Amino acid sequence: MLLVYHSCTSVKQQEESAVSSQEALGKKPLQILEKIRENLEKLNEKMEVMIELQKHGKKDVQPIPEAPLDVMTLLSMPDHLRKTAMTVCRLGRATADDIAQQTRRARAVESAYLNQLVIMGYLKKERKGRKAYFYVDRETHEG
Amino acid sequence: MGKIIAVHSYKGGTGKTLLSLNLAATLVKHGKKVCLMDLDFRAPSLSTILKIENAPCWLNDYLNGSCEIDKVLIDISEKASNNGKFFVGLANPTTEAIRDISAKDRKWEMRALGRLLALRNSLLNDKGFNYLIFDTSPGLQYSSINAIVSADLVIVVTTFDRSDVNGTKRMLRELYDLFEKKTEIVLNKVLNEFSSKSWNEELQAKVKDIYNAPLLGVIPCFCDISKAEGNFIFVQEKLEHPFTKILDSIANKVDSIA
Repeated sequence: MLLVYHSCTSVKQQEESAVSSQEALGKKPLQILEKIRENLEKLNEKMEVMIELQKHGKKDVQPIPEAPLDVMTLLSMPDHLRKTAMTVCRLGRATADDIAQQTRRARAVESAYLNQLVIMGYLKKERKGRKAYFYVDRETHEG
Repeated sequence: MGKIIAVHSYKGGTGKTLLSLNLAATLVKHGKKVCLMDLDFRAPSLSTILKIENAPCWLNDYLNGSCEIDKVLIDISEKASNNGKFFVGLANPTTEAIRDISAKDRKWEMRALGRLLALRNSLLNDKGFNYLIFDTSPGLQYSSINAIVSADLVIVVTTFDRSDVNGTKRMLRELYDLFEKKTEIVLNKVLNEFSSKSWNEELQAKVKDIYNAPLLGVIPCFCDISKAEGNFIFVQEKLEHPFTKILDSIANKVDSIA
């Protein structure tokens, strides 16, 4: 009787461990796919920046570390970047989607402009999960 | 949702403060909750006109980040004696404060822009103001451009002085258009008779031709305003004066602009 009980328990344990390993196997491909998608999105953003750099010429995108985004800087920006920068100023903190809704331009275009502004030092970018948020870092400039 | 209005001009002495103060008072008369802010930090005047010598906090302090906006606002609704609510935020008129704000750098101006933009949430959304009216410095001053960037509507006060006309044209093209701002023109100190309808239409056409911008109102040169010497809020004291009627019409138009 004891032997039967013991063998039953061990079969049950085996079944449980098989189920959990199946779950793990099931989850892993999902995680891998998520990771691939994340990396593709990052790659896409970089390519969009490169395309924009080619379109507008490198003179528009000189990196300046932590450049203050004041109104005179906004005035001197090319029109396409000013529109994006102004919208970030107004919204405070926004994703490329939020900006695209306001400017009525494509999300990919806004994503490219936002990343250009990050490279130029006017905006900061912060990732939270799958979303990238852009904002003007006024705190760093706190004197 | 309330609106932010910046009152600006190319040259000084065009009547920005006169218009800002009387437009604010008219909107209050119409039952609105209004906050008038003196952003002319280089030549503050509202504190003198309203006879408020000591404010608990000035707008300079708010932009410096040393106090909250609630501490800056002064309720002058009693002076208005009607249904609306009238608040003001004043610029510090002392020479030391003017010198201090003139020496601010780009980083400070960037933070100041952030604080002006934050007023949309703190005053329009949270406190339920219908209007914030910014009285600005003339020309391309940092504080004025910060006000323009933060505003929904820019009212440009201009005269027929040639240098003012040319400067205003340039600003329309190189400032307000670049920031995609809704702009309305107010012609002030106009010398001709203003009662004739044809003359008014002629002016509308002339303004459209010169500026390619809509005309919000025409204010003739009134000696009564000069005689008042800025001692009181004109539209509150002279209810039947033509200037008060014109301001009523300007306020109604402002209210109808989406």
